[in-house]
Amino acid sequence: MPLANPVFAGHNSNQGGGMIPPPGLSEGAMLKFVRKRAVASLISLVGLIVMVFFLSRLTGDPAALFLPVEASAEMKQQFRELHGLNDPLLVQFAHYVGDVLTGDLGESLRKARPALDVVLEAFTWTLWLAVITMSLVTGAAILVGSLAAFRAGGFFDRLSSIISLIGASVPDFWVAIVAIVVFSVNLAWLPTSGTGSLLHWILPIAVLFIRPFGIIVQVVRGSMIGALSSAYVKTARAKGVKSRSIIFVHALRNAMLPVITVIGDQAASLLNGAVIVETIFGFPGVGKLMIDSILQRDFNVVLAAILVTALAIFLMNLLIDLAYALLDPRIRH
Amino acid sequence: MKKMLILGALMLGSTLSTAFAGSGPIKIVLPEEADLLEPCMATRSNIGRVIMENVSETLTELDVRGDKGLMPRLAETWEQNADGSWRFHLRQGVKFSDGTGFDAKDVEHSFNRIMSDKNSCESRRYFGGMTITPTVVDDYTIDFKADPVQPILPLLMSLLTIVPEETPMEFVREPVGTGPYKLTDWTPGQQIVLTARDDYWGAKPEVTEATYLFRADPSVRAAMVQTGEADLSPSISQLDATNPATDFSYLDSETVYLRIDHNIEPLNDVRVRRALNLAIDRQAFLGTLVPEGALLATAIVPPPTLGWNPDVKVFPFDPDGARKLLEEAKADGVKVDTPITIIARTANFPNVTEIMEAIQAQLQDVGFKVDLKFVEVAEHEQYYSKPFKEGRGPILVAAMHDNSKGDPSFSMFFKYDSEGTQSGFSDPKVDDLIKRASAAVGDERAKLWKELIAYLHDDVVADVLLFHMVGFSRVSERLDFTPTMATNGTLQLSEIKIK
Amino acid sequence: MTLQTVTIVADEPNFATRMVRMLLADKFALCAAIFLVFIVILAIVGPSWLGELATKQNLRGRNAAPFDWERGWVWWMGADALGRPLLARIVVATQNTLMVAAGAVALSAAAGTLLGLVAGFSSPRVNQVIMRLADVIMSFPSLLIAVIVLYILGSSILNLMLVLAITRIPVYLRTTRAEVLEIRERMFVQAARVMGASDRRILFRHILPVVLPTLTTLATLDFAYVMLAESALSFLGIGIQPPEITWGLMISQGRQYLTNAWWLSFWPGLAIILTTMSLNMLSNWLRIALDPVQRWRLEMKGRKNG
Repeated sequence: MPLANPVFAGHNSNQGGGMIPPPGLSEGAMLKFVRKRAVASLISLVGLIVMVFFLSRLTGDPAALFLPVEASAEMKQQFRELHGLNDPLLVQFAHYVGDVLTGDLGESLRKARPALDVVLEAFTWTLWLAVITMSLVTGAAILVGSLAAFRAGGFFDRLSSIISLIGASVPDFWVAIVAIVVFSVNLAWLPTSGTGSLLHWILPIAVLFIRPFGIIVQVVRGSMIGALSSAYVKTARAKGVKSRSIIFVHALRNAMLPVITVIGDQAASLLNGAVIVETIFGFPGVGKLMIDSILQRDFNVVLAAILVTALAIFLMNLLIDLAYALLDPRIRH
Repeated sequence: MKKMLILGALMLGSTLSTAFAGSGPIKIVLPEEADLLEPCMATRSNIGRVIMENVSETLTELDVRGDKGLMPRLAETWEQNADGSWRFHLRQGVKFSDGTGFDAKDVEHSFNRIMSDKNSCESRRYFGGMTITPTVVDDYTIDFKADPVQPILPLLMSLLTIVPEETPMEFVREPVGTGPYKLTDWTPGQQIVLTARDDYWGAKPEVTEATYLFRADPSVRAAMVQTGEADLSPSISQLDATNPATDFSYLDSETVYLRIDHNIEPLNDVRVRRALNLAIDRQAFLGTLVPEGALLATAIVPPPTLGWNPDVKVFPFDPDGARKLLEEAKADGVKVDTPITIIARTANFPNVTEIMEAIQAQLQDVGFKVDLKFVEVAEHEQYYSKPFKEGRGPILVAAMHDNSKGDPSFSMFFKYDSEGTQSGFSDPKVDDLIKRASAAVGDERAKLWKELIAYLHDDVVADVLLFHMVGFSRVSERLDFTPTMATNGTLQLSEIKIK
Repeated sequence: MTLQTVTIVADEPNFATRMVRMLLADKFALCAAIFLVFIVILAIVGPSWLGELATKQNLRGRNAAPFDWERGWVWWMGADALGRPLLARIVVATQNTLMVAAGAVALSAAAGTLLGLVAGFSSPRVNQVIMRLADVIMSFPSLLIAVIVLYILGSSILNLMLVLAITRIPVYLRTTRAEVLEIRERMFVQAARVMGASDRRILFRHILPVVLPTLTTLATLDFAYVMLAESALSFLGIGIQPPEITWGLMISQGRQYLTNAWWLSFWPGLAIILTTMSLNMLSNWLRIALDPVQRWRLEMKGRKNG
């Protein structure tokens, strides 16, 4: 049960021996933290790229996948020559690194375009879907989860648990196809798929919303139940703090640690691409691109996509870690 | 009174013009995106659907709707010279969409381009195993000399898309062609738009503009035509094809079969191979797991193909006969108990999983031990094409082969020749027949192919041939279009009429 | 002198009786527990009991509609694309599904929690290394991990579990570490340290119990994800091959029939939903039942004014 309460921290007279660090995250400490983090992230990014580069090239021959089955061995050989795939792995890697340093992430074997262009186009769609969905999810889930926790075991709690658990475990293509049949084909309220207007975004986001919502409601609920029954909340009540909202806000703040972690995890999964939604609704995002590129062994696109999503995820995790310190000043990194 | 007459005439005139006014834009929804729009890749179906005969044209064209055979397109006539080379007389007054004129030099460049090693043109594989030299005779005449002599060279020319001679060797993203349409918009991942050209040499098509959209899910494609978001979907699933007013089934030139690897015991024994064929109840699949209109296959090429042999009979369903053959083989010491693995590709065609499971059950019923293994494209290719892995067990590879070109030569070498990449055996008589048939003409050619097909089916028992498949398409009621066997790889917009 | 009545306070009943009483107090948790026991029994006896029935094909009877009371009870849920009874298939699939899901979730939860505890409690350098490792795993597409594992280690159920487990490690890792970061600064931890408790003792005795409730919630929710993700991997040929079956595989095979033979996907989907709900309800109940401060909620239930 979280006990941290910033309101009381400063008055804590048990600060003997400087064992408890002073509260708050100073400017200087934050910059130092971010700098250290950037270096470490860069190292892990490089490690990721190296790993994917070598491992993916062990898994198959893009020539055989680009050319038809009836292509001769000579044709496949020519294809590999053209794309530098016949060189020893280390030589290929050296070329790749050289290109990357000049901003060139290679060319897509399938699409004959720069891999980075392909990935950035796709990632824009994914980013929009992820940001909009997670914003809606965060607001709605925290609200519903907290209300459920307030009267744990009550009717609203049971109802919201059932709904959120169904949401967390229902197969997403079910929801998508049924939604299209009901809202598009039968009711004609919304378009079936595609990306043209604002209306086109409603179904995809609704489908993407369901699973993270279900999961986060449960996490918020569990965390809030603990926070609401913690000692200081009881103390605050005993001391006469009548306002429910103050208690609510304090409990919420202390329950948020696991919640924002899980929000980050769900957001990361959306940033890696929502394959089903992209496939069914025709949103050309990075999920389907990744799957196709992996199955077609389009190495440069795979690497570029991983690079872009990794940067986004690393950044997000950094923000979450900073948020930890903001939420609970006693946390030091 | 006069006013009434004029008014009446005007009204009549406007109704008449709407009756003939069938013209306008349409939307087509395809299952996969064309990631390239390079003309020399147009023989790959997902690219050909958009480009072939719409943006880029060929010298000749195969008539898939009737039996006119090979029709002129950019070449008006052609004949074979004394030395075996073919002379093509090209159409005059044709312009590319960039304004330049079409002449023999463009044809020569187009050919050299696909054979170049500076790119990976897919069309090159149709010209493998032979040396072809194009020679420009004059502005509108070009000779193609083939070594060995190719009787079907004019047919091969239906696969060579013509580009202007200024086109660089590398793949282009703005295809320039002589076809009725030009590319006006390409938003990768979202849409491709073709717009009709005013300076096209042929008849003006009714479709003035076509927007291609991409949706991987078949139910969504069907729904889009239903709601009017699209006008045509050349490929929907059988389950959605429930509306007789809009849904059509058509033989789509894909043949499903199990390729037998004759090199590993017990599949090296012809009795075992025959038993495999007798154990399968092909008829039971029709109308259940395979659409009603599908055909039971006796050859790797579908019936309209030259040389298809109507005298070859489908293996009967004879489980007792199969058991007997296995007993015989076992008595001779053949290890018929060795577990055989069927390798299939996931999502290769509709119901592939269920079909393979049913076949497994039928084979096990007569005494075979069968394992199923579903793999993705890359792994499947490694089992299907040579080189085959050392130390492998007996394997059947479930595969689908497409031949809509009208001649078996496109299939036979690769699937049955000793040197063929997907061939599971080696038989000198087969090699000889393939060589002779490929060099023959007319009736002699048809006769030789027929002989080969019968030999492969009845004597060698080369594979377990299963079905010639059927596809389904949905066409909006405001369009008038019937898909053909070639629709998978060539969707000619000029064939689409607007009601 | 007045006679005083001495009230003897009864001893608290033993652990087992207490738990049963609290379970009875929460009807939802009770149903959940019964359902889960039922599922586990099916997992154990399923294949041997209905194995034959689940594999018998009948092409003429494919996609038979559910709720047909004419035929046997096995056909109540309808038949699949090969005419096999869905009810039997689901029962037989329970074993594979639970094995893969439980294995993958247990692996990822254990590994993630352990790493998170170490990351939160050790030196900043160790923390940095582990956390960056978590970042890397979060950015590595699961399909690529699956293809690489397939090519290097081959295809087996264990490898399937491995792939599924790896992709889920980060959430347990980060959640655990976040809690550790917070709790390690608290009074009672400082006090324990002063009193000479070893790091291991502090971690497992003081910190882990606080983290456990959130982790169980996450683990039970992960079950659903794993059951569905598994079917996407079997598509690659890694792990479960037909005619072996799991609920996830049944759902994805039934996808094409969603608009005209909805029962193929629906019943296995319902099975996953019910299992997830039960696991969660039970874990929520357990969280309250095991917490001395909270369990009054359950003990008071059903009693009207004492």
